[in-house]
Amino acid sequence: MNILARIRRIPFWSWIWFILGALYFLLPLYATVNFSLRMERDVIGFKAYVRAFEDPDFLKTFMYSNMLALMTILASIILIVPTAYWIRLRLPEARRVVEFITLLPFVVPAIILVFGLIRIYSSPIKIPFTDTTLLQPLTTFEIGTDILIVAGYVVLGLPYMYRSVDTGMRTVDVRTLTEAAQSLGASWFTIIVKVILPNIRAALLSGALLTFAIVVGEVTLASFLGVPAFGPYLFLLGQHRAYEPAALSFASFLLTWLAMGLIQLFTGGQGQASGAH
Amino acid sequence: MTHLSLKNVSKHFGDFTAVNDFNLDVNKGEFVSFLGPSGCGKTTTLRMIAGFEIPSTGQITINGADITNKAPSQRNVGMVFQSYALFPNMTVAQNIGFGLRIRKEKEADVVDRVKEMLAIINLEKKADSYPYQLSGGQMQRVALGRALAIRPEVLLLDEPLSALDAKIRIALRAEIRGIQQKLGITAIYVTHDQEEALSLSDRIVVMREGEMDQVGTPFQIYNFPTTVFVANFVGTLNNASAEVVDPAKSIIAIDGIQFESAVDLKERKKGDKVRVAIRPERFNFVSQEKKANIVDCRIENITFLGSIVRIQVMIGNSKFYMDTFNNPFLELPKIGDKDQVTCSREAVLVLDE
Repeated sequence: MNILARIRRIPFWSWIWFILGALYFLLPLYATVNFSLRMERDVIGFKAYVRAFEDPDFLKTFMYSNMLALMTILASIILIVPTAYWIRLRLPEARRVVEFITLLPFVVPAIILVFGLIRIYSSPIKIPFTDTTLLQPLTTFEIGTDILIVAGYVVLGLPYMYRSVDTGMRTVDVRTLTEAAQSLGASWFTIIVKVILPNIRAALLSGALLTFAIVVGEVTLASFLGVPAFGPYLFLLGQHRAYEPAALSFASFLLTWLAMGLIQLFTGGQGQASGAH
Repeated sequence: MTHLSLKNVSKHFGDFTAVNDFNLDVNKGEFVSFLGPSGCGKTTTLRMIAGFEIPSTGQITINGADITNKAPSQRNVGMVFQSYALFPNMTVAQNIGFGLRIRKEKEADVVDRVKEMLAIINLEKKADSYPYQLSGGQMQRVALGRALAIRPEVLLLDEPLSALDAKIRIALRAEIRGIQQKLGITAIYVTHDQEEALSLSDRIVVMREGEMDQVGTPFQIYNFPTTVFVANFVGTLNNASAEVVDPAKSIIAIDGIQFESAVDLKERKKGDKVRVAIRPERFNFVSQEKKANIVDCRIENITFLGSIVRIQVMIGNSKFYMDTFNNPFLELPKIGDKDQVTCSREAVLVLDE
């Protein structure tokens, strides 16, 4: 059956709802693009984009946020993959508790999280019941603050990453694959790296993309921890300029679409259940 | 020579006893099946041999070495699963070579061994295919090749044919038996399908509620069951309550109708209640063959089962089945007819009530 025939089979009301939905998402985007191209009076051009990209702070903050996003994704994978794997394999009764924990970022606002982090880690870390200082306050030096913000982002990304990974594991028979690998002599590390991870690749990429999107645009944690991230930069820019923030917003959209395209490319458009190859 | 040995092996899950005091010695190259209904403990026993479950008590040895508490990866035991468990991200060749690469064998040796296995399982042309491109039967052959590639001490098969359709099941079980005999590998096979167990095994362990009910060759298990459970579970069996009439001559009576048995009943007393079991195929119509026990019956029902015709008869007030080969020229009795059936003394098994 060709595409036209397939399209004709879709009911009329389905088309109406689809068009309304598409307009809801695309109209604001069109308005943003249109606005970003009209920096010069009566001229359609890319001046706002050129200006935005020329600003040295843009590249600095953008690269910094990208670095934070990569670190967050890495930390999330190291934390969540073995956790979700172990719950599926040995602790299914713990799933409810872990799911509840992973949903907490939806309930506890980022502002509460950042105040908690600042309150706890702005004092020196001591060995309990002694006066011996183990570590200076994390908020007082750069790497310490980076660790704090990455930890905060891991928490914010938990609902997305955990659910993606858990769904990915549900589509492959994790328990039997593990037992098959064990009987062939594989260690736990080998099983996770060579059997589990490749089979949940699509789920990992989805989780990573969502985490990336959250981290690159995040403002609250970055502002309160005082780091030179892209979110606060965009926020400040928006207060002083009109066209450049619109240009940068559209550029971030393009970046997200590029990432989604890459996921499709890597997974061949299929889930891992049908064979991640 | 004993290759695999299970001594007093038990497994408890909380208050539930899955396996109780299991004892078995398996010789090198022997094919042993664990047969029983769901929940009888056969898979748990297999998983204890594989190392996926640790016995609550008892000891498991392979070649005399204690493996009871060893990790599955340290046991050198190959396992074939019901759900194939092929790694979806690897090709057939990569799946087969996985265990060898884990063992860090030389790449050239791995390639040779994979080729050898592909030839054995007859899938040379599918070496570069992914599991999702194979049929169920092909996937299970790859799983078998993968388990055998590592040259395991023992091959464990957990209902490997259950997910396949009938024709492939029959073809593949012959293939499994052929490969096992060719390689001379010790194999433990779990199944609830009596036909599979009877056709494949050197010995069968019939299990019930976590215990071994009977261990024997397929011939012994089918022809000389020692318990009512085995008699009922393996094959179709008529059984009815009976009373010992003459212990010296091994004569018993079902609803007053006397049968002579080959079983020695000297230790029983006249009037003892026993259970009599007779396989359907051991009955014949008197007109066809004359044997020791000739009894009156009434034809109740006739069912065609392909190559076999199963006839339900009433002997006294007890219902019995008799099987006869389907023959288009055979004159079958009609439902309601009165006739006479016969069976040999050896066909009359006497079991405890």
